Amino acid sequence: MKIEIKCNCNEETCPEWAIVELQGVVEAQPYFQDRLHNLEIGQLCRPSSLENYTFTVGYHELTGSKVPLKKPFLVLKKKKITNVEQSSESDPPGTELEVVGIIRHRILFKTRPKALISKPQPIVKERATATGSSAPVE
Amino acid sequence: MEQPHPGCRGAEAVLNLQPSSSISVSYHPLFGPHDDLILLEVDEKLLPHVLHQRVTLRGQPDEDAVLCTPSKTYGIKFVGTSNSAFLIPPSGHSILCESSEDCNEKGHIQQASASVIKVALGSMELVEVAPRLDKLRLLLLENPYRSEEALKFEDLGGTENCKLYTWDDLVGKVQASDDELRTGLMALSAVEIDGYWRIVDEEYMDKILMALLPSSVLNDWSLNALNEDEVVSVLVKDGFPQKLAHHCLSVYGSKVDEGVDGSCLWRLDERRVCVHFAREILREGKRKMDSFMEEWKRRIPEGMQASFDMLEGEVLTEKLGVDLWVRAFSVSALPLTPAERFSVLFKERTKWEWKDLQPYIRDLKVPGLSLEGLLLKYTRRTQPTLEAEPIFSAR
Repeated sequence: MKIEIKCNCNEETCPEWAIVELQGVVEAQPYFQDRLHNLEIGQLCRPSSLENYTFTVGYHELTGSKVPLKKPFLVLKKKKITNVEQSSESDPPGTELEVVGIIRHRILFKTRPKALISKPQPIVKERATATGSSAPVE
Repeated sequence: MEQPHPGCRGAEAVLNLQPSSSISVSYHPLFGPHDDLILLEVDEKLLPHVLHQRVTLRGQPDEDAVLCTPSKTYGIKFVGTSNSAFLIPPSGHSILCESSEDCNEKGHIQQASASVIKVALGSMELVEVAPRLDKLRLLLLENPYRSEEALKFEDLGGTENCKLYTWDDLVGKVQASDDELRTGLMALSAVEIDGYWRIVDEEYMDKILMALLPSSVLNDWSLNALNEDEVVSVLVKDGFPQKLAHHCLSVYGSKVDEGVDGSCLWRLDERRVCVHFAREILREGKRKMDSFMEEWKRRIPEGMQASFDMLEGEVLTEKLGVDLWVRAFSVSALPLTPAERFSVLFKERTKWEWKDLQPYIRDLKVPGLSLEGLLLKYTRRTQPTLEAEPIFSAR
């Protein structure tokens, strides 16, 4: 079986996606668990002209930086092939992959969160590696 | 591309965040597992191939898929992460923002914001691998082209209960890039007959060669300058299909010159012709060295010189009592994956001297691993004294 990887963009126009990456998981409070859509996770802030960032999630603040990926990621989307004439003889209904974006940078937060004390009631709480269940991962 | 919606700014807002400013990061209105979105790690060398649609994934449902560029094959492995990688598409992404209403239906995202479409659990990584060409040989050996078939009418050509493969069939079944597949077919001396790629049975090739050689004597042709048109037409008169007659020239010879009138000249390759006769002699079993050499020299065409060196990777010799025996053991019949290759070799002999072993492993190609690396991985090397030849045995 042969699966084509389609791409309608070229190197210059390939839409760039972004990754914000942090250790552990972000968990919404039970009330929001099944209504995540549009829910704010946190505030991403760039305090200075350096590529340093803070990410404030609930009353936790993470410090990180923007790092270029050594090798870019392509974002592929799996699609069912709909036109019949194209799919060959015996192959089951084919799939194809389409390049929908490229990722060249991520904003990486690899430190443990710092607690902020005076903050209003958070809507999202974070359970990061600080729980001690796993060692910090690079 | 849709106009960026003021309330729904995506990746750009993150990537171009100005100093002393902040944005809200929130879950996208369509946030979900989105298993159909895959991250593929691609180095800069591969990137143009992907963006210009020159790569495909190949493999059967029971095989691990590989990614092929026009010339190389890559294994694909999923690398998971315990981090949370929030994936943020650009704003107004046509695939995700199907209706622009998604972006502002809950009017509360007014400020600059970025929306997370999914949390990526990992990504796919590519590792260059050797093409999986053993399968190509297996497929083509299911139904080699034999003399019986040449005698039949064309369209009876074994379409009923035996399997034949077109180029497209092979691309779908063999995990190799197009270039590697083509090289693999050449290495197998395969030929495309009526649209199907075939290996030609050795006995049949022998028949063609045994028709060609006497004709060259009769017609006073030089084996260094065979005129393609003349040779093919004589062989066709002898009852061989044109395609096979031509194939015979390309298996045992090489093109030396393209004439002005479009005719080609071929030179028969001494080594390939001599090896062919050695294989024919040893087809029935092992022979004493003396009688083998005698018959071999007798059978090869005039003007050609047989030398035992030509049989590297084709025969093994062994001493039984006082006699030296020779028998066929061809590298071309051995598996192409190193682990299987060494396993077969050490089943054949528990100990190998380097000069004997080398012809049987020099064709192995594993990206990122040298021949020395292969030896370290699959063999144990012993060298009783510094001057002695090293001996290789199984690990």
